[in-house]
Amino acid sequence: MADVAPSLKRLDPAELARLGSLPIKARVIVEGALSGMHRASVHGSSVEFAEHKEYAAGDELRHVDWKAYAKQDRYYVKQFEQESQLAVYLVLDASASMAFSGGGIPKVQYAGLLLAALAHLVIQQQDKVGLVACGDRALETVVPPRARTTHLHDLLGVLDAVMVRGGQGDESPAHALGRIAELTRRRRALIVLASDLFDADGEVLDALATLRAQRHDVSVVHVLDPHERSFPYDGLTQFEALESGNRVLVNPAAIKRDYLARMDAFLAGVRDKLAQAGVDYHLTATDKPLEQALLELLIARTRLQPGARR
Amino acid sequence: MGFLAPLMLAGVVAIGVPIAIHLIGRRRARVVKFAALDFLMATKRRTARRLRLRERALLVVRALACAAVALALAKPFTSCARKGPQVTRGPQAAVLVIDDSFATGYMIDGKPWIKVAAEEARKVLVQLGPEAEVAIVRASEGADHPTELTRDHLRLRDQLLALDASARPADTSRALARAAQLLAASSHARKTVFLISLLARTGLREEAAWGSDGPMLSVIDVRPPKLPNLAVVGLRVDADEGTGGRGVAIEADVANFDGSGAGSEVPKVELSLMIADHVVARGQLELPPGATKTKKFLAALPAGARASDASVALATDDALPIDDRRFVRAQLRDEVRVLLVDGDPRSVRHDDELFYLEAALRPGDREDSGTQIRAITAEELAGITPGARADAKLALDDFDVVVLANVPALPAEQVAVLADWVRAGGGILVAPGDHVDPAAYDRTMLPLLPQGLRDPIDTTWGASPEDRDSRALHLVKWEADHPIFTPFSKDAPELADAKYFKISLLGPTTNTLDRQVLARFTNGAAALVEASVGSGRTLLYTSTLDRDWNDLPIHPGFVPLLHQAMRHLARKHALGTTTDHVVGAAVTLPTGDLQRLEVRGPDGLGAVFEGDRIAGRSQVRFTRTDRPGIYRVIGTDAAGGTRDRDELAFAVNLDPHGSDLAEAPASALPRSGTGANGEPADESRRIELWHALAAALLLLLLAEGVLVQR
Repeated sequence: MADVAPSLKRLDPAELARLGSLPIKARVIVEGALSGMHRASVHGSSVEFAEHKEYAAGDELRHVDWKAYAKQDRYYVKQFEQESQLAVYLVLDASASMAFSGGGIPKVQYAGLLLAALAHLVIQQQDKVGLVACGDRALETVVPPRARTTHLHDLLGVLDAVMVRGGQGDESPAHALGRIAELTRRRRALIVLASDLFDADGEVLDALATLRAQRHDVSVVHVLDPHERSFPYDGLTQFEALESGNRVLVNPAAIKRDYLARMDAFLAGVRDKLAQAGVDYHLTATDKPLEQALLELLIARTRLQPGARR
Repeated sequence: MGFLAPLMLAGVVAIGVPIAIHLIGRRRARVVKFAALDFLMATKRRTARRLRLRERALLVVRALACAAVALALAKPFTSCARKGPQVTRGPQAAVLVIDDSFATGYMIDGKPWIKVAAEEARKVLVQLGPEAEVAIVRASEGADHPTELTRDHLRLRDQLLALDASARPADTSRALARAAQLLAASSHARKTVFLISLLARTGLREEAAWGSDGPMLSVIDVRPPKLPNLAVVGLRVDADEGTGGRGVAIEADVANFDGSGAGSEVPKVELSLMIADHVVARGQLELPPGATKTKKFLAALPAGARASDASVALATDDALPIDDRRFVRAQLRDEVRVLLVDGDPRSVRHDDELFYLEAALRPGDREDSGTQIRAITAEELAGITPGARADAKLALDDFDVVVLANVPALPAEQVAVLADWVRAGGGILVAPGDHVDPAAYDRTMLPLLPQGLRDPIDTTWGASPEDRDSRALHLVKWEADHPIFTPFSKDAPELADAKYFKISLLGPTTNTLDRQVLARFTNGAAALVEASVGSGRTLLYTSTLDRDWNDLPIHPGFVPLLHQAMRHLARKHALGTTTDHVVGAAVTLPTGDLQRLEVRGPDGLGAVFEGDRIAGRSQVRFTRTDRPGIYRVIGTDAAGGTRDRDELAFAVNLDPHGSDLAEAPASALPRSGTGANGEPADESRRIELWHALAAALLLLLLAEGVLVQR
């Protein structure tokens, strides 16, 4: 695959979507992203020895260093930097608005590919990865986090099914985020949400802020179609809402300036609010190469390693 | 509004094109599924109203633009009445016909209308330019008209400045005809008549002033919309015996020329009667619009005056004051000076020959009887002379009529004197009696008789006293149309009942030319014969003037018969004569023996007739009756005596027709002729509208462009 990777750098997301199964696509993306780095910034165990401490009542007996007891006749307990594997929750917004495509691939496809690549990476790091796909409450899919390689195939299979189904329903990701908050109540987790954040009442942002307040790592990949950013329409056009089916007849030229202003204001509002909550925010368009989007996400994650984090 | 190319109007259906495009465009709008519809909705909500307005404005503008194209191609036009005179500057011939009738003195905002007319005329004169040959024709009746066109605009301007309302009615038709004549003589191609008039219908006759090849007529309408007017349009005076000998009845006709129709309130008009410059009576008259009513005043002339000026005026001035007053000369009947020659004077009064005659001519010896009598005997007549002489007691010229009552035949010399006097205009009545010898009369008196006398017959001769009345003769067959018999009907009992017992018969005569039998008796004999002798008259009554031969003196017909006979002989039959002349009319004045005659109008101007203008003439004509009022006549007789001749004074009044200011119909004006353009001048002006439509289309396209850009 090493000879394939450089050409994939320039691979259009639409072309990538036409490649074989999702696991292959995920690996292509990951390799494409990592081939650009001198050194993998994430490798080795997530469970590393830090120091010894004298045993005290309540410590786990399995962490007692028996060799040290043999030498010094005292009970010492091994201290690890990370006490357990990282649980990564990938949240895919599969609501109807994510089915929009201005000419490239639909947003749900783009987000799915990105999350698949992330899942691939996480499993490679022997961390646990789970999936929550939201949008249609009836079809809400939850894949609990696991670290086994076989789990990756299961997860990607589910993800592929969601992507094939496309965006449906108008369920906000806030509900899914709420479920994750319940599932990860006792353990910190990394939660990655891929969504267009087009919910009317902003409860997604509130849910993200809540997760962050629970000391979870939260990343948001804000996926927008280029047409939603540039509004390149002309002539009398009847726009139909993907979620509600509402129609509106407008002359795009007449409202373009106003629309773009509102869109910019929306993006600025999201960015400010998430930054305020300490949520990692990445805005990406569906015409941006996936490996580049992934790389930017990873670099940002690196910057957010312990010590750099608040 | 009309269209030169009405078929092009079919293009108006093109309005449907933008509407259809609009509707189809809505239906064919591209459908795009879109995620961020909330942003669109919010944006659209803000701009929807503006967009909808813009779309509708665009639709309207485009539809109007399509319609404007079709309308402009159809070349619409409208027409309107020409306003104001169409004055073209340059070489041309023009006549300004200006109304200067007395009605143009109508006050509008404190200024007579004619000043407005003169100002309009001056403007036209300026616009015509110095190269135009112009004449000013005044439209009042009898106005002097210019004989040629002139380029002397300064003089014309002076004429306009001096223009003032005359006292005559309008005769616009004649003025227009004169204008056409003046223009016909001009060699200019362009000929125009500018008419500045009140356009009163009384001034326009329904006859063409010119034919179709006549000049162009440009009517400068400065007539005020309403011209209400009150006027005294008639004034008559008559003797009113009931008020006494000096009594006069004056009837004034007052008209309300208000064409606005009857109002809810009938206006009351106050009138005042002036006699000799004093208001002697006032009266009130209810005068609805459009009505003419008569007000009768009874008054007496001042003592001592046989004639006086009288006028009736409206107490309240209206906008046209000149016709609010009318004048008349009120004259009592002229006294007839009668010389009665008594041929049978008696000491017993009632036996006297003149007893009944005097009583009839001067009943009760009243001054206002209209007759001045003097009775003399036949002997006294011997000393009479023709003219007034200082040493003479009697002069024939002091009398109008001589009555010879039962006078014996006079000597031939006296007869000659009397005959000369009769020929000069005197009147003589001869009545026979017992002292009259027909044979002697035939010898000397024939110059004074219409016919010779024969012996009288006594119809009762031999009759018993019972049969006397039945054999009496009666008057029958009198000339009812003759002035003497005008007071009587054809079978008036006051005459017919009188019994004649004895009458004189008349001899044969061949003179039938100047002789007329005015009445006959039942037996066919002549009762009253008249003859003209020179300027005078003779009258022969074939019975006595007392009761010797008849009983007429005790019948009611006696008094009027004699009065009429006296006035006829004295040629003073016009009782209560009034002379009424309209302004501009010529007045004929008898000269009598006057050597100089001066007429003075109310404004002090007049004319003097003397020398050749009066010598040898029996009458003169005075034509300068330019103002209404009383005209006085001052005469100088042969003896050099100069005095007012009251009997000759006369009143001049406005022609009442000129007071009616109702507007003439358009048909009364002559049709505008060809003038110079070879085609009749159009009274209406066509205004083409397609230029405006093209401009509107341009603006619509601009507006469409702006709307599209927004």
